[in-house]
Amino acid sequence: MELMKKSIVSVKDFSLAINGKKIVNDLSFDVKAGEVFALLGANGSGKTSTIRSLLGIYQPTGGTLHVDGRTYTPELARLVGYLPEERGLYTRSKVLDVMMYFGELKGLSHDEAKKFCLEYLERVGLSDKAGTKVKKLSGGQQQKVQLGVAIIGGPKLLILDEPTKGLDPVNRKLLLDIVDELQQQGAAVIYITHLMEEVERLADRLLILKNGKSHAYGSVADVKKQFKSKSIEEIFVRIYDEKSHEVAHG
Amino acid sequence: MAKLKTVIKHEYMTIVKQPSFWIVMLAIPLLIATVIGLSYIGNKSSEERIKDLAKDLKNVAIIDRSGLINQQVVQAAELQLSSSSREQTLRDEVRREKKEALIVYPDTLQSTQKYEIYLSSDDFTKMGSVTSLADNLLKTSLFLPLGSPEIIALAQNGAESQVTTYRDGVETAGLNEYIIPGLFVVLFYVIFVFSVGYMLTSVSEEKENRSMEMVLTYVEPRNLIVGKLLAVILVTLTQVLFFAVLAVIGYFILQSFGNVVSLPAGIDLQKLVFDPIAIFFGASFLAIGFLMFAGFMTAIAAIAPSTKEANNFSTVFYLGAFIPFYFIMMILTDPENPITKFITFFPLTSPVVTLLRNAVGNMDLLEALLALIVMTVFMVISIWVAVRAFSRGALEYSSVLNLKSLFKRQ
Repeated sequence: MELMKKSIVSVKDFSLAINGKKIVNDLSFDVKAGEVFALLGANGSGKTSTIRSLLGIYQPTGGTLHVDGRTYTPELARLVGYLPEERGLYTRSKVLDVMMYFGELKGLSHDEAKKFCLEYLERVGLSDKAGTKVKKLSGGQQQKVQLGVAIIGGPKLLILDEPTKGLDPVNRKLLLDIVDELQQQGAAVIYITHLMEEVERLADRLLILKNGKSHAYGSVADVKKQFKSKSIEEIFVRIYDEKSHEVAHG
Repeated sequence: MAKLKTVIKHEYMTIVKQPSFWIVMLAIPLLIATVIGLSYIGNKSSEERIKDLAKDLKNVAIIDRSGLINQQVVQAAELQLSSSSREQTLRDEVRREKKEALIVYPDTLQSTQKYEIYLSSDDFTKMGSVTSLADNLLKTSLFLPLGSPEIIALAQNGAESQVTTYRDGVETAGLNEYIIPGLFVVLFYVIFVFSVGYMLTSVSEEKENRSMEMVLTYVEPRNLIVGKLLAVILVTLTQVLFFAVLAVIGYFILQSFGNVVSLPAGIDLQKLVFDPIAIFFGASFLAIGFLMFAGFMTAIAAIAPSTKEANNFSTVFYLGAFIPFYFIMMILTDPENPITKFITFFPLTSPVVTLLRNAVGNMDLLEALLALIVMTVFMVISIWVAVRAFSRGALEYSSVLNLKSLFKRQ
């Protein structure tokens, strides 16, 4: 059944060097519709650079990175929702204005963007903050707005880089529910996190990066089987403890 | 195209929705009105000023040992001269706040050119009022022997010169010729001070508040920069329109005053000269110069990791726009000087120097065209650098993007 699912992201033989320094080396993976794909790795392992290359912000040195069968350009913005690790909002603008700006950048009409934003704010309990300046929101409230910006327009691919960082348990549950919902609707989710319990709970498949190279790739069950372990956290630690353990995959 | 429109709308609305934008916009005409008002008050006759000042200062004692203060002038202000033998008593009364102030003109006034004031408080306003009263009592007393109030006003304020100029034997409009092209210089500074800075803050804030990566996911860097530039141009046009409307209102107010308020240096709004060539070059130098500086500011904001560092780097460019005033006389009167030539073509000084020289008409057509071409080349370079720096440095949050990686092929 899994084989029938369409690949939303397809990365083949991807390499990236910045200022002569190799960041990612010969990386291949794909992400299918309706799955949560955990992209794991320690800081500096190449996760964010891979995502930036996928989204055309960085130019790859080699290989191909496709979103929905094409190299990503901002013309495909409506397909993608991205919550980067280094995220922030226009603090001097009002919540609704900021959300609508991103909605319109993604190609939604003014009315579509407004409708979506108001419904989303209502859902996350921020409808009374629509006219408030972003800088007056708490950190958690700002994070909810950031997630709203990422999911405007119902993206086919949602990329979340440490989305629950700094959230209290209630808001974390709310966020994960929204992710579940999008997944049910068929969106592919690339989930970057350092919290392995979230990987265990959410992920269908995963990839562990170390020094820009893939060290584990496949379904959560397959990776556990391959490493003869019951815990992703243990596998992760083992990979980072080992000198080298590259995984060949196709 | 739709994204460009969205970026322009967002950037434009972000700027014009800021209360500080309108506060500054209103502060400029208010400042100008205040200066005009003050100069109008300053031109009122001394007697009127003494009366105005003395109105609130009834409890002021005056001792004149110099013999220069005219009794008539003092009485006209409804004040009295006191006997010099009472000085100590009056000083005590001031100290005990029974009197507001004591002015003593000593017998050494002519040689030392100093007089004394004793005040019952250190209130800054009162200090200014009493000093002004004492000064005006002295001046008016000294000028009184001249006779009529008109002659006194002439002696105190001087007269306005009516200049008639000729070129090739034909009378010209004199200073009135310089006003319209000169307005482009003023406009450049208004735009430079307000709008060019918006490019800097707009990009550096996006970096600092970390919204850049999200924006770059949905918009091409080139579209983002062009959108920001166009938005700043729209903001500038809004400012120009706002000031133009105020200028028209001001013009009609001046008209309603008749001859009471006249413009300085013989400037007559009825005699303004609209030279199409000077206007073309003025508008071109202004637009190209603005875009060049905007490009440089964008590049700085993209290269620097924070708003603070971007502001530090931008100082060099602000200096470039103000340095020409150090050479102002040379620029206006010595167009053949090698320094004038150099700063006419040097990119950072070129916009202001060309605008100034265009205003006074000391640049021939060939030189103006050459300057425009050189400035256009630098404008294109600055925007190219801006887009490149933006593409490479927009996500550099921790250090300044080095020049090597700016020009290196990726």
